[in-house]
Amino acid sequence: MQISGLDYLVFGVDDLVGAQRYLEDFGLAPVDQDETGGLYEALDGTGIILRKRDDPRLPEALSTRSMLRQQVLGVRDASAIDAIEAELAKDRRVTRLADGSIEFRDPLGFNLKVQITRRRPLDLPAEKINAPGAPAQRAANEIGVWEDMPARPRSLSHVVLFVPDMDKIVAFYTGRLGFRITDVLTGAGPFLRPAANDDHHTHFFIRTPEYMQGCEHLAFHMGGPTELMVAGSRFTRKGYQSFWGPGRHKFGSNWFWYFNSPLGCHVEYDADMDKHDDSWVAREAPSGPEASQIFLLQWREKWAPGGGPEGK
Amino acid sequence: MLRLCHIDDVPKGATRGFLPAPGAPRRVIVLWHDGQLLAYADACPHYRGGTPMAWRTDAYLSGDGRHLECHAHGALFDIASGDCIAGPCLGRRLTKVALHVDEDGTILVPDHVAGRGGSER
Ligand code: FES
Ligand SMILES: [Fe+2]
Repeated sequence: MQISGLDYLVFGVDDLVGAQRYLEDFGLAPVDQDETGGLYEALDGTGIILRKRDDPRLPEALSTRSMLRQQVLGVRDASAIDAIEAELAKDRRVTRLADGSIEFRDPLGFNLKVQITRRRPLDLPAEKINAPGAPAQRAANEIGVWEDMPARPRSLSHVVLFVPDMDKIVAFYTGRLGFRITDVLTGAGPFLRPAANDDHHTHFFIRTPEYMQGCEHLAFHMGGPTELMVAGSRFTRKGYQSFWGPGRHKFGSNWFWYFNSPLGCHVEYDADMDKHDDSWVAREAPSGPEASQIFLLQWREKWAPGGGPEGK
Repeated sequence: MLRLCHIDDVPKGATRGFLPAPGAPRRVIVLWHDGQLLAYADACPHYRGGTPMAWRTDAYLSGDGRHLECHAHGALFDIASGDCIAGPCLGRRLTKVALHVDEDGTILVPDHVAGRGGSER
């Protein structure tokens, strides 16, 4: 099962205008935007599809209030879709759409679609740093930061789901869709990556009661930690609510910064995630503040020493 | 008592979040409901310690305007009682904040509201 990752996440929201503005301010580019929603793209064309909660084009909702309506997974070619269809048709309904994509549900009722990926190849440098002992990554006179430097999400990175039955969903993603488990936070759940993606995770599952089933957060990759900090600072200054971060996770090594959203879940900037292949042996650590991050910081208004002593 | 805001700072039909003191860990959410001023700590009871609920400044209402909402994972709270009626903290409730309104319309809150905040249970 050669799945390469997430192309889109589809949401049916209550406050469409608010959500549209939110995703644009987050740094995604609107495509086909109108009063019924639109696609909000990262630089590589992956992104969020937004609709009103009652839009008839949306797949059926979960029985909880979750606004996540579908995960769209990408594969390289039609034969990969055929292989997934053949496997899944053994025990569930698989619907073939006119464009050749297929739709089905996982054992917990999350709606999935598999299509030939629309992810556009990116050709962009990573954040460049200079360090003693290593060749300079920025040439002479090439500066590292400037006030209006670009800091736009490059690619849809991962989704985190609240799942009421861990065994069932893990068996399905690993056994039927070909995902690998990269690491496990005991007490929370596993990180997974699909066979054709070397990112540490495109999925993370958190065990919860049934009434919580849904989406915990989704994340976009940035070009590096500086872009993450710049994008998050700009977003904060526009009045958006930071929830956790900036910081750097241990498992995956990715930098993170989570924000509240009108999508019923957090939306995260991430950067510089570890890559893995099949020789990797999954680690395990008890979930909690220690295992979750190597450090955690908090945003504050710009300040600089100066101005002299206060209050005589 | 600490000055939180003025009664004119809270328009009918909207929610406002105010810091009870500079650097306080939690805002206080103030809104009009059925002709009464209500206030809650801006601290969703889903996670330990309570976490902020708006998705942008002052945006504490659900998309349909009928509930207070935590925009971390979409928990809904009854406006009048603060009870969570759907979402991760089902069965818990927001912490009410007692308001005192002066004759000139100044809204005051107890000092402890600016201390280590949050709600549990
Ligand atoms: S933190 Fe409020 S619903 Fe999860
Ligand atoms: Fe994440």
